[in-house]
Amino acid sequence: MSQRTSRGARVFCGLSGGVDSALACALLLEQGYDVTAVYMRNWSRDLPGFRCPWADDLADAERVAVTLGIDLEVWDCEAEYQATVVDYLVDAYAHGRTPNPDVMCNQTIKFGTFLERALAEGADYVATGHYGRVARGEDGRTALLRALDEHKDQTYFLWRVGEGALSRALLPVGEIRDKAEVRRMCAERGLGVEAKPDSDGICFVGPVGIRTFLLDALERRAGDVVELETGRVLGRHDGAFLFTVGQRKGLDLGGGPARYVVSTDVEKNVVYVTADHDSPALFTRQIELEDVRWIAGEPPAPGRYLVRTRHTGELREVVLDLAGPAPVLRFDEPARRVAPGQSAVIYDGIRCLGGGIVH
Amino acid sequence: MTPEREVYLDYAAATPVDPEVAAAMMPYLTERFWNPSAPYARAREVRDDVERARGAIARLIGARPDNLVFTAGATEANNLAFAAVEGHVVVDAIEHESVLACAATHARKTVRVGADGLVDPAVVARAIRPDTELVSVELANGEIGCVQPVREIARVVAAERARRLEAGEDVPLYLHSDASQAVGALAVNVGSLGVDLLTLSAAKIYGPKQVGLLWASDDVRLRPLVYGGGQEGGVRSGTENVAGIVGFARAMELVGERRGEESRRLAALRERLREGICERVPWAVVSGPRSAKRRLPGLLHVAFAGIEARRLVIALERAGVSVGTGSACAASRMRVSHVLEAIGMPRPLAEGSLRLTLGRPTTEEDVDYAVASIGEAVRAEAARLGLDDAGQAARVEALLEGWPGLTAHTSQNGPRTPPQNGGCAR
Repeated sequence: MSQRTSRGARVFCGLSGGVDSALACALLLEQGYDVTAVYMRNWSRDLPGFRCPWADDLADAERVAVTLGIDLEVWDCEAEYQATVVDYLVDAYAHGRTPNPDVMCNQTIKFGTFLERALAEGADYVATGHYGRVARGEDGRTALLRALDEHKDQTYFLWRVGEGALSRALLPVGEIRDKAEVRRMCAERGLGVEAKPDSDGICFVGPVGIRTFLLDALERRAGDVVELETGRVLGRHDGAFLFTVGQRKGLDLGGGPARYVVSTDVEKNVVYVTADHDSPALFTRQIELEDVRWIAGEPPAPGRYLVRTRHTGELREVVLDLAGPAPVLRFDEPARRVAPGQSAVIYDGIRCLGGGIVH
Repeated sequence: MTPEREVYLDYAAATPVDPEVAAAMMPYLTERFWNPSAPYARAREVRDDVERARGAIARLIGARPDNLVFTAGATEANNLAFAAVEGHVVVDAIEHESVLACAATHARKTVRVGADGLVDPAVVARAIRPDTELVSVELANGEIGCVQPVREIARVVAAERARRLEAGEDVPLYLHSDASQAVGALAVNVGSLGVDLLTLSAAKIYGPKQVGLLWASDDVRLRPLVYGGGQEGGVRSGTENVAGIVGFARAMELVGERRGEESRRLAALRERLREGICERVPWAVVSGPRSAKRRLPGLLHVAFAGIEARRLVIALERAGVSVGTGSACAASRMRVSHVLEAIGMPRPLAEGSLRLTLGRPTTEEDVDYAVASIGEAVRAEAARLGLDDAGQAARVEALLEGWPGLTAHTSQNGPRTPPQNGGCAR
């Protein structure tokens, strides 16, 4: 275990009603921590066709807390969540980018508002059910490592959490071999949530998808779908902001071959597509980064690292070039283009160094 | 992990369909499926069966069959009652949500209730205006179990009607009562109650859900909410729920046969439950009217100051005991039920309150198991929060002093008089 056991240290553990955070609470108790569970209510609005399950989730969180015999507090984080996650998401889409709201949520809510308030209330640590590991070195430095279970690793969403916040974080579930083990351990402890399905994707959008959410938040605006190679108008769309690079579904072109979004122009409201899955326009040799963050506070030495451009996506070798005005990642071979606004997260072996937003 | 025993103590929320009721319904779900409005002889048979059921229920409540309108439950019946009037209405503050929501669509006066939940007929008399068209007071409350003085309120209404007649005013005035929660325990007769409109539900008397009725006297002209094929005298269109109506009638008959004995049995079980809980948790607070005549026999409302009821519900669920509570979680704060708010129950009590309702299948063993489980759950929570008996007793005493009119109801040394609305220790 890379986490020191501090008998009696106070931990505020986020408890969502899901499997992972339930086990996190249980494990911390078993390790001798003084645990207070907190349900962060970030969002409670229903969307057309999707009833927000927050009340059910809270009821599950309460079941877990009662079973473990610990306090459960409900913290209302809706205003911060709206400002830093939802508004950010809508604004990014409106500008033709494809953001990762979970990255913002971890930075500003879970390891932002939640951490600050917990510390103010006397916590020594905060904990969550994230799959990731916090390594505390002899030198007093703290590092973020990928979870033991590489298939569930969530460090892709944690790259904007700085070392200061990480030094206060406990991520007990990141030390567990796999999700089946997590469910088994929950069942053993009678926590009653072991059968809950994994929640993937953006929590407040649910199964209705980002399209419904965006059409609720932004104005529908009809525009052309244009074939990249010929400039021919192939069809119409409801707003270029709804589309993202590489997207295939949701293009209503009335039959014909499958087509892929190459780029979008939200100013002109045009979506460019190609039928060629191997079109050079879908590939790139380099990614320019903006809004770069390094967990340790300063950039690593230029050189070869690993990069991941989607959650649990392939880890590719890359050369980090810090010489220019903006950091650039260069691939040895052409790589599929990544939508602007996505996170590119950089690793040195299993250690997450930080990353940037794809320009 | 499977609990040792399953004990259901939420019969005010839902009752299982009695096997005899289910048996009566079954043919109408399978071979006797015909539409009562169809022209052939078979259909005529089920039409007759519906009318027989209507007649049976009418007899049991002292009504004429053609004054009954079958609905999809009590909520619809209450809605139908309010749709009969347009003007000002008077309701009390602890009515069921369906009545309060209907009243909210009218000009209205909501009258207060006492700390035991009872409506004072004199307060109703003062609330009635010359343009009031409907007064609605339930016969019994499903949360704290108080039985309202509907006959006395009927006299108040009758006096106002007489005044209007003398004065030559032609504004009608009706009295409606929702007897859904009461009919299992109390004999309901529309004539002796003196009401003009009455709601009943099958779901609370071991009949099927989504079956209810509204009885309306000849004086009331009902206005339909559901239009269509003109069934139920045009007041409630839609093919009759034949199985449901037949089951409702059978459920009413069984209630009629068993009511007296069952009420006595439930009252004894409730006392056993109350005594058991008070013995284990001396600072428990029991609410509701003090007089046994003024409360439902199978309902115990009990509060544990400073303990979160929702946590008790979870702990009890783990022990196999299902109970109701007067508080629900809304947003990040606890929302106390409108009933507990209206009776002025202090928040630390309201948030820690359980509604325990006993029913036909409940046994002494069930009650004893529930007592042990409740005692254990409350003690575990109190220990977790560092609350001891002495401190809790003092806290309850202070809370009850701040709840006007209640200290008089508590009894210190009178074991024969149940200490309603009082701490067990007092």
